[in-house]
Amino acid sequence: MGRTLAVVGAAAISAIALAAVPSPPAPNYTVDKLWPMPLPNHWILGSVTGIAVDKQNTLWVAHRAASLNTRTEAGLMTTPPSAEECCLPAPPVLHFDAAGKLLGTWGGAGEGYDWPISTGAVVVDDNSNVWITAAGAPEPAAASAGATGVVAGAGRGGAAGAGRGGAPTANAPVVQAQPPADAHILVFNSAGKFVRQIGKPGQTDASSNANLDKPADVAVDVAANEVYVADGGAHQRVVVLDANTGAFKRQWTGHGGAFERLSSIALSKDGIVYVGDRRGNKVQAFKKDGSFINEIGVAPTTLGNGSVWDVALSSDAAQQYLMVADGQNESVIIVDRKTMKQISSFGTGGRWPGRFYAVNSLAMDAKGVLFTGEGYEGKRVQKFLPQ
Amino acid sequence: MNTHMTKRIAIGASTLALAVAGIALLPERAHTSRATPAPDQFEVAMRQGDSVMAPRFEVDPNFPKPLPNGWVLGMSVGVGVDAEDHVWIVHRPPTISANERGADQSPPFGTCCTAAPPVLEFDQTGTVLRHWGGAVAGAPYEWPESNHGISIDYKGNVWIGANAATDAHILKFTKDGKFIAQFGHAGKSTGSNDTVNFGAPAKIVVDKKSNEAYVADGYKNRRVVVIDAETGKFKRFWSAYGNKPDDGPLGTYQPGETPKQVFRGPVHCAMPSNDGLLYVCDRQSDRVQVFKTDGSFVKEIFIATKTGGDGAVWDIAFSPDAAQKYLYIADGKNERVYIVDRATMTMLSSFGDGGRQPGQWFGAHSIATDSKGNIYTVETYEGRRLQKFVFKGVQKVARWQGVPWPKK
Repeated sequence: MGRTLAVVGAAAISAIALAAVPSPPAPNYTVDKLWPMPLPNHWILGSVTGIAVDKQNTLWVAHRAASLNTRTEAGLMTTPPSAEECCLPAPPVLHFDAAGKLLGTWGGAGEGYDWPISTGAVVVDDNSNVWITAAGAPEPAAASAGATGVVAGAGRGGAAGAGRGGAPTANAPVVQAQPPADAHILVFNSAGKFVRQIGKPGQTDASSNANLDKPADVAVDVAANEVYVADGGAHQRVVVLDANTGAFKRQWTGHGGAFERLSSIALSKDGIVYVGDRRGNKVQAFKKDGSFINEIGVAPTTLGNGSVWDVALSSDAAQQYLMVADGQNESVIIVDRKTMKQISSFGTGGRWPGRFYAVNSLAMDAKGVLFTGEGYEGKRVQKFLPQ
Repeated sequence: MNTHMTKRIAIGASTLALAVAGIALLPERAHTSRATPAPDQFEVAMRQGDSVMAPRFEVDPNFPKPLPNGWVLGMSVGVGVDAEDHVWIVHRPPTISANERGADQSPPFGTCCTAAPPVLEFDQTGTVLRHWGGAVAGAPYEWPESNHGISIDYKGNVWIGANAATDAHILKFTKDGKFIAQFGHAGKSTGSNDTVNFGAPAKIVVDKKSNEAYVADGYKNRRVVVIDAETGKFKRFWSAYGNKPDDGPLGTYQPGETPKQVFRGPVHCAMPSNDGLLYVCDRQSDRVQVFKTDGSFVKEIFIATKTGGDGAVWDIAFSPDAAQKYLYIADGKNERVYIVDRATMTMLSSFGDGGRQPGQWFGAHSIATDSKGNIYTVETYEGRRLQKFVFKGVQKVARWQGVPWPKK
């Protein structure tokens, strides 16, 4: 009954109903400390920028090899190599089964598309196409020579000014000698065959509402043939494009004030668009037409990089929970979607299993298993089993 | 011994005499250098067939327990085990970036996290016990700009090294963190023949039989120094092959190069064995040199000699049996632990690989064993973990055991 009221009722009515309906019990999670299986070929992951689970319950991971330190960590990456046995960056996109076995890899530069300076989010749509946002900007010269691979104020995967919650690069002048910043979205089939590109690097200007700027994340509405984009950089808007042509359909900005730094977007089965504003420390919910529904402040006093690095929906039929990755406080926050109240959280900082450094990506499989990805120097994916 | 003697003459002489001595040394040099490349123990081991009887280990992914107080670690650069099998580590809080220690910022970024104190003691369950360390205003000692290396001696005292350019000293504390002694002073190093100060000394280990401390000295100096563990008085020191140290230019390591007559360094470990030998890590030379305790050269082995950069020989631990049958060598460049038969100094096997998961490393910096034969490692750079590898007995194992996950 509560759900019916919540969906159809006015805000005041649903609030009364919800006061009488307690939130569902929050799920508890236990980390699977031995997952995924060690990669072959002395491959290692750079900063993970996005993860996604597809209909087959397999996991997709995009990471950023350029975030690896060639002096200390990826000694086989250089010519000549500085190491004898280890290590090499894994290919940019990795595909794991539920047991953590590597099923395949692909990605990187190819014919007909612009591989990102830095990948952002990964999303697999209901047709099993893999969407990858291009959310990077050229590294400042000083940063690319840095020793740690961490760029101050870096974005989702550690790229300078990367779109998914990246450092403010709004209106930064384009330096002519550098390649243009990412401003596009790539679509591949699950075998890694290029399907289409929406947008063009460097093409961010206002001449077209369809132009993007370091898009952080997408949500694909296959039935409507629309893609919802958390458009980053200087744009900081939600823009809805035709999923095939990339043609502009509609757009909106933050409710009650501009989005500060968009990180993420998710679309529920019941048609609500959840938009994660990292520096704004909040998630705002909208109808598909952009009309505001409600919002939740997440660790609202958070400074630094902000608290909302990714949003994801639970995989139960009702999608009861909204999951938020907080890569500043190093936790996963569980929100009751009906009430938009936080009901639980878990996690803290550290490099051991179950802890996080820059947790920035979430995905849940059909069994309720939660996967996380970590940027900066976290550089791993983890699996959390529901209890 | 001939080489040993003639080298002392050569190093002590003037530039002209060096040239003359160099000619005089030619036959000896041919003896100790590689007419053909010296056997690389890693390559030899990998050629020796598929399997071998050697210790097998499994990583314990549940060790240690989560740190209390929202603590996180920086570069973790020392691990030692005391007589109670408690595990001591030292790490570098200043290496933790602001976005990882947000609760330490002013105002705080958020609720996570804060730097753990530099020295941490763990019991066998992985629970943190004592913790201390760091610069203290008015303290009677100079906390290193970059602390490095930890060991607990047979009296239960804790020794800490230091590797910033200005660090020229070592520190000795009780287990409770009470200051006992500082030997050498920050900024005072005059090089590898200084008899009071060190040059970014990596690690100190005390030999119970003589109450002498062996100092791996270090990142700047190219020597082992033996001091009296109570007074700190220098007793003797030497470089590669027992030579007098020389701080002259060496150039960058080249695979296949003639082995240098001094330690390239960093001289990263100096480990005395029960039977009166000393094992020295010459990290960027990809070699272990073995000495008698008086500094006379015994032998050397080379490992993964294609390794440039930081080098392949980072730290050494012995198996805990009385004979110390096995030597374990941490390689934080290739991300391995090598298992060496100590009597023959031949490599039997190795395990581990690069990565951020249990049993993998990024910068496997230091290694120690407990009385049960378990191995502990800490990682520098962005690895920043203490890990435990449980000894599972001597078994038939592959020459490279891969990432040593528990067998299901």
